[in-house]
Amino acid sequence: MAADPKTPDSATEYPPELSRLPPGRHGLPREFVVHNQRERLIAGLAEAVAENGYASTTIAHITRHAAVSRRTFYEHFNSKDECFVAAYEAVMEQLRERVDAAYQEQDEWPQALRAGLAAMLSFLAAEPNLARLSMVEALVAGPVVVERYDAAIRGLVPYVEAGRDGRPSAVLAQLSPTTEEALVGGMVSLISRRIIAGQTEELEQLLPDLVEFTLTPYLGTAEAAKIAQAD
Amino acid sequence: MRPPPGRQQLSREFITQHQRARIIAALAEETVTRGYRAVTVADIVRRAGIARNTFYENFSSKQDCFLATQDYAVEEALRRVVDAATEVESWQERVHAGLAAFLGYVASDPALARTCIVEALSAGPASLARYEESLQSFVPLFRIGRKVSPRAEQLPETFEELIIGGIFWVIYQRIIRGETEQIEQLLPELVEFALNPYIGAEAARRATA
Repeated sequence: MAADPKTPDSATEYPPELSRLPPGRHGLPREFVVHNQRERLIAGLAEAVAENGYASTTIAHITRHAAVSRRTFYEHFNSKDECFVAAYEAVMEQLRERVDAAYQEQDEWPQALRAGLAAMLSFLAAEPNLARLSMVEALVAGPVVVERYDAAIRGLVPYVEAGRDGRPSAVLAQLSPTTEEALVGGMVSLISRRIIAGQTEELEQLLPDLVEFTLTPYLGTAEAAKIAQAD
Repeated sequence: MRPPPGRQQLSREFITQHQRARIIAALAEETVTRGYRAVTVADIVRRAGIARNTFYENFSSKQDCFLATQDYAVEEALRRVVDAATEVESWQERVHAGLAAFLGYVASDPALARTCIVEALSAGPASLARYEESLQSFVPLFRIGRKVSPRAEQLPETFEELIIGGIFWVIYQRIIRGETEQIEQLLPELVEFALNPYIGAEAARRATA
Protein backbone atom coordinates (compact mmCIF):
# COMPACT_ATOMS: atom_id res chain seq x y z
CA MET A 1 0.00 0.00 0.00
CA ALA A 2 1.41 3.39 -0.99
CA ALA A 3 1.56 6.28 1.42
CA ASP A 4 -1.15 8.83 0.75
CA PRO A 5 0.44 12.07 -0.48
CA LYS A 6 -2.35 14.04 1.21
CA THR A 7 -1.25 12.91 4.63
CA PRO A 8 2.40 13.84 4.93
CA ASP A 9 2.15 13.88 8.74
CA SER A 10 1.42 10.21 9.11
CA ALA A 11 4.09 9.44 6.54
CA THR A 12 6.75 11.33 8.46
CA GLU A 13 5.64 10.10 11.85
CA TYR A 14 5.70 6.41 11.01
CA PRO A 15 8.18 4.56 8.86
CA PRO A 16 6.11 3.78 5.76
CA GLU A 17 7.97 0.53 5.09
CA LEU A 18 6.27 -0.95 8.15
CA SER A 19 2.92 -0.89 6.43
CA ARG A 20 4.18 -1.96 3.01
CA LEU A 21 5.98 -5.08 4.06
CA PRO A 22 3.97 -8.23 4.41
CA PRO A 23 3.90 -9.58 7.96
CA GLY A 24 6.89 -11.67 8.94
CA ARG A 25 9.11 -10.51 6.05
CA HIS A 26 10.62 -7.43 7.71
CA GLY A 27 12.29 -9.28 10.56
CA LEU A 28 10.26 -7.53 13.25
CA PRO A 29 8.51 -9.63 15.88
CA ARG A 30 4.82 -9.96 15.06
CA GLU A 31 3.83 -8.66 18.47
CA PHE A 32 5.73 -5.44 17.88
CA VAL A 33 4.03 -4.90 14.56
CA VAL A 34 0.60 -5.62 16.00
CA HIS A 35 1.16 -3.24 18.89
CA ASN A 36 2.51 -0.65 16.54
CA GLN A 37 -0.43 -1.00 14.17
CA ARG A 38 -2.85 -0.51 17.01
CA GLU A 39 -1.08 2.66 18.09
CA ARG A 40 -1.04 3.91 14.54
CA LEU A 41 -4.75 3.28 14.21
CA ILE A 42 -5.37 5.18 17.43
CA ALA A 43 -3.24 8.09 16.23
CA GLY A 44 -4.94 7.87 12.83
CA LEU A 45 -8.34 8.08 14.46
CA ALA A 46 -7.30 11.16 16.46
CA GLU A 47 -6.13 12.88 13.28
CA ALA A 48 -9.21 11.87 11.31
CA VAL A 49 -11.57 13.02 14.06
CA ALA A 50 -9.75 16.34 14.41
CA GLU A 51 -10.18 16.83 10.67
CA ASN A 52 -13.75 15.64 10.18
CA GLY A 53 -15.44 15.51 13.57
CA TYR A 54 -16.46 12.18 15.07
CA ALA A 55 -19.78 11.77 13.25
CA SER A 56 -18.30 12.29 9.77
CA THR A 57 -15.18 10.22 10.35
CA THR A 58 -15.15 6.97 8.40
CA ILE A 59 -12.98 3.91 8.73
CA ALA A 60 -11.41 4.90 5.41
CA HIS A 61 -10.31 8.20 6.96
CA ILE A 62 -8.75 6.36 9.87
CA THR A 63 -6.88 3.80 7.78
CA ARG A 64 -5.60 6.52 5.45
CA HIS A 65 -4.20 8.55 8.35
CA ALA A 66 -2.76 5.41 9.92
CA ALA A 67 -1.42 4.17 6.56
CA VAL A 68 -2.72 0.65 7.15
CA SER A 69 -5.20 -1.48 5.26
CA ARG A 70 -8.88 -1.78 6.04
CA ARG A 71 -8.30 -5.42 6.90
CA THR A 72 -5.73 -4.42 9.48
CA PHE A 73 -8.29 -2.08 11.02
CA TYR A 74 -10.75 -4.95 11.42
CA GLU A 75 -8.06 -7.17 12.93
CA HIS A 76 -7.90 -4.69 15.81
CA PHE A 77 -11.37 -3.18 16.08
CA ASN A 78 -14.90 -4.15 15.14
CA SER A 79 -16.07 -0.61 14.55
CA LYS A 80 -15.22 3.06 14.59
CA ASP A 81 -16.84 3.30 18.03
CA GLU A 82 -14.57 0.60 19.39
CA CYS A 83 -11.50 2.30 17.96
CA PHE A 84 -12.63 5.56 19.54
CA VAL A 85 -13.02 3.96 22.96
CA ALA A 86 -9.48 2.56 22.68
CA ALA A 87 -8.17 5.97 21.63
CA TYR A 88 -10.02 7.69 24.44
CA GLU A 89 -8.63 5.25 27.01
CA ALA A 90 -5.09 5.66 25.65
CA VAL A 91 -5.28 9.44 25.85
CA MET A 92 -6.76 9.45 29.34
CA GLU A 93 -4.16 7.01 30.58
CA GLN A 94 -1.37 9.27 29.37
CA LEU A 95 -3.07 12.32 30.82
CA ARG A 96 -3.63 10.62 34.18
CA GLU A 97 0.01 9.47 34.32
CA ARG A 98 1.35 12.96 33.65
CA VAL A 99 -1.00 14.63 36.10
CA ASP A 100 -0.34 12.08 38.79
CA ALA A 101 3.44 12.18 38.40
CA ALA A 102 3.48 16.00 38.60
CA TYR A 103 1.12 15.97 41.57
CA GLN A 104 3.08 13.34 43.53
CA GLU A 105 6.34 15.19 43.08
CA GLN A 106 5.28 18.02 45.38
CA ASP A 107 5.12 17.78 49.16
CA GLU A 108 2.52 20.45 49.83
CA TRP A 109 -1.02 20.13 48.52
CA PRO A 110 -1.39 23.61 46.99
CA GLN A 111 1.82 23.18 45.01
CA ALA A 112 0.89 19.62 44.09
CA LEU A 113 -2.47 20.72 42.74
CA ARG A 114 -0.81 23.51 40.82
CA ALA A 115 1.72 21.08 39.34
CA GLY A 116 -1.02 18.62 38.37
CA LEU A 117 -3.04 21.32 36.65
CA ALA A 118 0.06 22.61 34.87
CA ALA A 119 0.79 19.09 33.60
CA MET A 120 -2.78 18.69 32.35
CA LEU A 121 -2.79 22.02 30.51
CA SER A 122 0.62 21.48 28.94
CA PHE A 123 -0.34 18.00 27.72
CA LEU A 124 -3.55 19.28 26.13
CA ALA A 125 -1.85 22.34 24.62
CA ALA A 126 0.91 20.22 23.10
CA GLU A 127 -1.54 17.68 21.65
CA PRO A 128 -4.44 19.64 20.11
CA ASN A 129 -5.85 16.56 18.35
CA LEU A 130 -5.89 14.51 21.54
CA ALA A 131 -7.27 17.48 23.49
CA ARG A 132 -10.17 17.75 21.10
CA LEU A 133 -10.71 14.00 21.09
CA SER A 134 -10.81 13.68 24.86
CA MET A 135 -12.60 16.88 25.85
CA VAL A 136 -14.99 17.59 22.96
CA GLU A 137 -15.46 14.67 20.57
CA ALA A 138 -15.80 12.17 23.43
CA LEU A 139 -19.15 13.74 24.24
CA VAL A 140 -20.58 13.06 20.80
CA ALA A 141 -19.11 9.57 20.46
CA GLY A 142 -21.99 7.68 22.02
CA PRO A 143 -23.11 6.67 25.50
CA VAL A 144 -20.23 4.27 26.24
CA VAL A 145 -17.66 7.02 25.82
CA VAL A 146 -19.80 9.60 27.60
CA GLU A 147 -19.93 7.33 30.65
CA ARG A 148 -16.16 6.99 30.61
CA TYR A 149 -15.81 10.73 30.16
CA ASP A 150 -17.99 11.39 33.21
CA ALA A 151 -16.02 8.84 35.22
CA ALA A 152 -12.69 10.35 34.12
CA ILE A 153 -13.77 13.79 35.27
CA ARG A 154 -15.02 12.42 38.58
CA GLY A 155 -11.56 10.82 38.85
CA LEU A 156 -10.08 14.31 39.24
CA VAL A 157 -12.11 14.97 42.39
CA PRO A 158 -9.70 13.26 44.87
CA TYR A 159 -6.82 15.55 43.86
CA VAL A 160 -8.89 18.55 44.86
CA GLU A 161 -10.51 16.88 47.84
CA ALA A 162 -7.06 16.30 49.37
CA GLY A 163 -7.17 20.04 50.12
CA ARG A 164 -9.48 19.24 53.04
CA ASP A 165 -6.73 17.39 54.90
CA GLY A 166 -5.37 19.34 57.83
CA ARG A 167 -7.60 22.35 57.20
CA PRO A 168 -8.98 24.09 60.34
CA SER A 169 -12.45 22.94 61.33
CA ALA A 170 -13.84 26.43 60.73
CA VAL A 171 -12.81 26.12 57.08
CA LEU A 172 -14.10 22.56 56.77
CA ALA A 173 -17.45 23.60 58.18
CA GLN A 174 -17.83 26.01 55.29
CA LEU A 175 -17.12 23.45 52.58
CA SER A 176 -20.23 21.88 51.14
CA PRO A 177 -20.17 18.27 49.86
CA THR A 178 -20.41 19.44 46.25
CA THR A 179 -17.41 21.80 46.45
CA GLU A 180 -14.97 19.52 44.63
CA GLU A 181 -17.51 18.45 42.02
CA ALA A 182 -18.24 22.10 41.20
CA LEU A 183 -14.55 23.08 41.09
CA VAL A 184 -13.63 20.21 38.77
CA GLY A 185 -16.70 20.80 36.59
CA GLY A 186 -15.92 24.49 36.30
CA MET A 187 -12.36 23.80 35.18
CA VAL A 188 -13.31 21.13 32.67
CA SER A 189 -16.06 23.33 31.26
CA LEU A 190 -13.67 26.25 30.75
CA ILE A 191 -11.00 24.05 29.15
CA SER A 192 -13.56 22.49 26.78
CA ARG A 193 -14.88 25.90 25.81
CA ARG A 194 -11.39 27.09 24.94
CA ILE A 195 -10.77 23.96 22.85
CA ILE A 196 -14.06 24.44 20.99
CA ALA A 197 -13.07 28.05 20.36
CA GLY A 198 -9.81 26.85 18.76
CA GLN A 199 -7.62 28.19 21.58
CA THR A 200 -6.08 24.86 22.56
CA GLU A 201 -2.53 26.07 22.17
CA GLU A 202 -3.10 28.92 24.64
CA LEU A 203 -4.53 26.66 27.35
CA GLU A 204 -1.50 27.06 29.60
CA GLN A 205 -2.38 30.72 30.10
CA LEU A 206 -5.33 29.54 32.17
CA LEU A 207 -3.10 28.07 34.87
CA PRO A 208 -3.13 30.98 37.38
CA ASP A 209 -6.92 31.32 37.06
CA LEU A 210 -7.54 27.60 37.59
CA VAL A 211 -5.15 27.45 40.54
CA GLU A 212 -6.72 30.44 42.27
CA PHE A 213 -10.21 29.11 41.60
CA THR A 214 -9.55 25.66 43.07
CA LEU A 215 -7.49 26.81 46.06
CA THR A 216 -9.89 29.58 47.15
CA PRO A 217 -12.39 27.43 49.10
CA TYR A 218 -9.57 25.83 51.11
CA LEU A 219 -7.05 28.63 51.61
CA GLY A 220 -9.13 31.76 51.21
CA THR A 221 -8.90 34.22 48.35
CA ALA A 222 -5.69 36.04 49.31
CA GLU A 223 -3.55 32.95 49.88
CA ALA A 224 -4.99 31.24 46.79
CA ALA A 225 -4.11 34.26 44.65
CA LYS A 226 -0.57 34.33 46.05
CA ILE A 227 0.10 30.70 45.10
CA ALA A 228 -1.58 31.16 41.73
CA GLN A 229 0.73 34.06 40.88
CA ALA A 230 3.93 32.35 42.14
CA ASP A 231 6.53 31.34 39.57
CA MET B 1 -68.77 36.73 11.09
CA ARG B 2 -65.09 37.26 10.47
CA PRO B 3 -62.99 38.74 13.25
CA PRO B 4 -61.36 42.10 12.55
CA PRO B 5 -57.95 41.76 10.86
CA GLY B 6 -56.01 42.82 13.96
CA ARG B 7 -57.51 40.06 16.03
CA GLN B 8 -56.85 37.45 13.42
CA GLN B 9 -53.20 38.49 13.23
CA LEU B 10 -52.89 38.09 16.95
CA SER B 11 -54.49 34.71 17.02
CA ARG B 12 -52.31 33.42 14.20
CA GLU B 13 -49.27 34.51 16.11
CA PHE B 14 -50.72 32.87 19.17
CA ILE B 15 -51.29 29.64 17.29
CA THR B 16 -47.75 29.66 15.91
CA GLN B 17 -46.30 30.23 19.37
CA HIS B 18 -48.46 27.50 20.74
CA GLN B 19 -47.44 25.09 17.99
CA ARG B 20 -43.76 25.80 18.47
CA ALA B 21 -44.10 25.26 22.20
CA ARG B 22 -45.84 21.94 21.59
CA ILE B 23 -43.21 20.79 19.12
CA ILE B 24 -40.41 21.79 21.50
CA ALA B 25 -42.04 19.94 24.38
CA ALA B 26 -42.50 16.90 22.13
CA LEU B 27 -38.88 16.97 21.01
CA ALA B 28 -37.74 17.07 24.65
CA GLU B 29 -39.96 14.12 25.60
CA GLU B 30 -38.82 12.08 22.62
CA THR B 31 -35.15 12.92 23.20
CA VAL B 32 -35.34 11.79 26.80
CA THR B 33 -37.16 8.60 25.82
CA ARG B 34 -35.11 7.55 22.79
CA GLY B 35 -31.91 9.57 22.85
CA TYR B 36 -31.34 12.34 20.32
CA ARG B 37 -29.86 10.21 17.55
CA ALA B 38 -32.78 7.79 17.45
CA VAL B 39 -35.50 10.45 17.40
CA THR B 40 -37.16 11.09 14.03
CA VAL B 41 -39.33 13.97 12.89
CA ALA B 42 -42.15 11.43 12.70
CA ASP B 43 -41.74 10.71 16.44
CA ILE B 44 -41.90 14.41 17.27
CA VAL B 45 -44.93 14.98 15.04
CA ARG B 46 -46.76 12.04 16.59
CA ARG B 47 -45.99 13.14 20.15
CA ALA B 48 -46.98 16.75 19.44
CA GLY B 49 -50.20 15.67 17.71
CA ILE B 50 -49.60 17.93 14.74
CA ALA B 51 -49.29 17.48 10.98
CA ARG B 52 -45.87 16.84 9.46
CA ASN B 53 -46.34 19.99 7.38
CA THR B 54 -46.80 22.01 10.53
CA PHE B 55 -43.45 20.79 11.78
CA TYR B 56 -41.73 21.89 8.59
CA GLU B 57 -43.51 25.26 8.65
CA ASN B 58 -41.73 25.88 11.94
CA PHE B 59 -38.42 24.04 11.60
CA SER B 60 -36.26 22.92 8.70
CA SER B 61 -35.00 19.71 10.35
CA LYS B 62 -34.68 17.76 13.57
CA GLN B 63 -31.43 19.55 14.30
CA ASP B 64 -32.99 22.95 13.66
CA CYS B 65 -35.74 22.01 16.09
CA PHE B 66 -33.18 20.86 18.67
CA LEU B 67 -31.23 24.12 18.47
CA ALA B 68 -34.49 26.07 18.77
CA THR B 69 -35.33 24.03 21.85
CA GLN B 70 -32.01 25.00 23.40
CA ASP B 71 -32.59 28.68 22.57
CA TYR B 72 -36.09 28.53 23.98
CA ALA B 73 -34.94 26.97 27.26
CA VAL B 74 -32.08 29.46 27.72
CA GLU B 75 -34.32 32.45 27.03
CA GLU B 76 -36.93 31.14 29.40
CA ALA B 77 -34.33 30.37 32.08
CA LEU B 78 -32.77 33.82 31.76
CA ARG B 79 -36.19 35.45 31.94
CA ARG B 80 -37.05 33.57 35.13
CA VAL B 81 -33.67 34.25 36.71
CA VAL B 82 -33.78 37.96 35.94
CA ASP B 83 -37.42 38.28 37.09
CA ALA B 84 -36.59 36.62 40.39
CA ALA B 85 -33.40 38.62 40.87
CA THR B 86 -35.05 42.01 40.35
CA GLU B 87 -37.42 41.29 43.24
CA VAL B 88 -34.60 41.70 45.76
CA GLU B 89 -32.02 44.38 46.50
CA SER B 90 -28.46 43.20 47.07
CA TRP B 91 -26.36 41.25 44.60
CA GLN B 92 -25.98 38.41 47.11
CA GLU B 93 -29.75 38.11 47.39
CA ARG B 94 -30.03 38.29 43.64
CA VAL B 95 -27.67 35.36 43.15
CA HIS B 96 -29.72 33.44 45.69
CA ALA B 97 -33.06 34.32 44.09
CA GLY B 98 -31.76 33.79 40.56
CA LEU B 99 -30.30 30.36 41.31
CA ALA B 100 -33.49 29.38 43.14
CA ALA B 101 -35.49 30.31 40.05
CA PHE B 102 -33.09 28.39 37.81
CA LEU B 103 -33.18 25.22 39.89
CA GLY B 104 -36.96 25.57 40.15
CA TYR B 105 -37.18 25.69 36.37
CA VAL B 106 -34.98 22.60 36.01
CA ALA B 107 -37.09 20.68 38.53
CA SER B 108 -40.36 21.79 36.92
CA ASP B 109 -39.48 20.49 33.46
CA PRO B 110 -37.16 17.48 33.79
CA ALA B 111 -37.45 16.49 30.12
CA LEU B 112 -36.48 19.92 28.86
CA ALA B 113 -33.71 20.17 31.45
CA ARG B 114 -32.26 16.81 30.48
CA THR B 115 -32.49 17.68 26.80
CA CYS B 116 -30.71 21.01 27.17
CA ILE B 117 -28.20 20.23 29.94
CA VAL B 118 -27.30 16.58 29.22
CA GLU B 119 -28.37 15.54 25.71
CA ALA B 120 -27.25 18.83 24.15
CA LEU B 121 -23.66 17.88 24.88
CA SER B 122 -23.85 14.69 22.85
CA ALA B 123 -26.24 15.75 20.09
CA GLY B 124 -23.48 16.96 17.80
CA PRO B 125 -21.07 19.84 17.34
CA ALA B 126 -23.72 22.50 16.62
CA SER B 127 -25.71 21.85 19.76
CA LEU B 128 -22.55 21.52 21.86
CA ALA B 129 -21.42 24.93 20.61
CA ARG B 130 -24.89 26.33 21.32
CA TYR B 131 -24.72 24.91 24.84
CA GLU B 132 -21.37 26.60 25.44
CA GLU B 133 -22.77 29.91 24.15
CA SER B 134 -25.74 29.58 26.44
CA LEU B 135 -23.48 29.28 29.50
CA GLN B 136 -21.82 32.51 28.42
CA SER B 137 -25.14 34.33 28.53
CA PHE B 138 -25.16 33.95 32.32
CA VAL B 139 -21.74 35.60 32.70
CA PRO B 140 -22.99 39.23 32.98
CA LEU B 141 -25.33 38.29 35.84
CA PHE B 142 -22.41 37.07 37.94
CA ARG B 143 -19.97 39.73 36.81
CA ILE B 144 -22.02 42.35 38.67
CA GLY B 145 -20.56 40.71 41.79
CA ARG B 146 -17.27 42.42 41.09
CA LYS B 147 -18.94 45.67 42.18
CA VAL B 148 -19.39 44.34 45.70
CA SER B 149 -16.17 42.38 45.88
CA PRO B 150 -13.28 43.87 47.85
CA ARG B 151 -11.00 42.03 45.41
CA ALA B 152 -12.74 43.16 42.22
CA GLU B 153 -9.50 44.32 40.63
CA GLN B 154 -7.60 41.10 41.25
CA LEU B 155 -10.31 38.57 40.34
CA PRO B 156 -9.22 36.53 37.33
CA GLU B 157 -11.08 37.25 34.13
CA THR B 158 -12.39 33.69 33.78
CA PHE B 159 -14.01 33.36 37.22
CA GLU B 160 -17.58 33.79 36.04
CA GLU B 161 -17.12 31.09 33.42
CA LEU B 162 -15.58 28.78 36.00
CA ILE B 163 -18.43 29.35 38.45
CA ILE B 164 -21.15 28.85 35.84
CA GLY B 165 -19.42 25.78 34.42
CA GLY B 166 -19.19 24.33 37.91
CA ILE B 167 -22.87 24.93 38.63
CA PHE B 168 -23.92 23.33 35.36
CA TRP B 169 -21.65 20.33 35.95
CA VAL B 170 -23.18 19.69 39.38
CA ILE B 171 -26.67 19.95 37.87
CA TYR B 172 -25.63 17.65 34.98
CA GLN B 173 -24.42 15.02 37.44
CA ARG B 174 -27.71 15.15 39.37
CA ILE B 175 -29.73 14.79 36.18
CA ILE B 176 -27.80 11.76 34.92
CA ARG B 177 -28.20 10.16 38.33
CA GLY B 178 -31.96 10.66 38.05
CA GLU B 179 -32.11 13.18 40.88
CA THR B 180 -33.72 16.03 38.99
CA GLU B 181 -36.65 16.24 41.36
CA GLN B 182 -34.42 16.90 44.36
CA ILE B 183 -32.29 19.41 42.53
CA GLU B 184 -33.60 22.39 44.51
CA GLN B 185 -31.87 21.00 47.59
CA LEU B 186 -28.60 22.12 46.04
CA LEU B 187 -29.52 25.77 46.39
CA PRO B 188 -27.51 26.73 49.51
CA GLU B 189 -24.39 24.88 48.30
CA LEU B 190 -24.45 26.43 44.86
CA VAL B 191 -25.08 29.92 46.22
CA GLU B 192 -22.09 29.58 48.52
CA PHE B 193 -19.97 28.23 45.71
CA ALA B 194 -20.90 31.20 43.51
CA LEU B 195 -20.46 33.90 46.15
CA ASN B 196 -17.28 32.63 47.81
CA PRO B 197 -14.76 34.01 45.28
CA TYR B 198 -16.33 37.47 45.45
CA ILE B 199 -17.00 37.98 49.14
CA GLY B 200 -15.24 35.10 50.95
CA ALA B 201 -16.57 31.93 52.50
CA GLU B 202 -17.94 33.43 55.70
CA ALA B 203 -19.95 36.18 54.08
CA ALA B 204 -21.12 33.68 51.47
CA ARG B 205 -22.39 31.38 54.18
CA ARG B 206 -24.22 34.25 55.91
CA ALA B 207 -25.87 35.17 52.61
CA THR B 208 -27.39 31.70 52.26
CA ALA B 209 -28.72 31.59 55.83
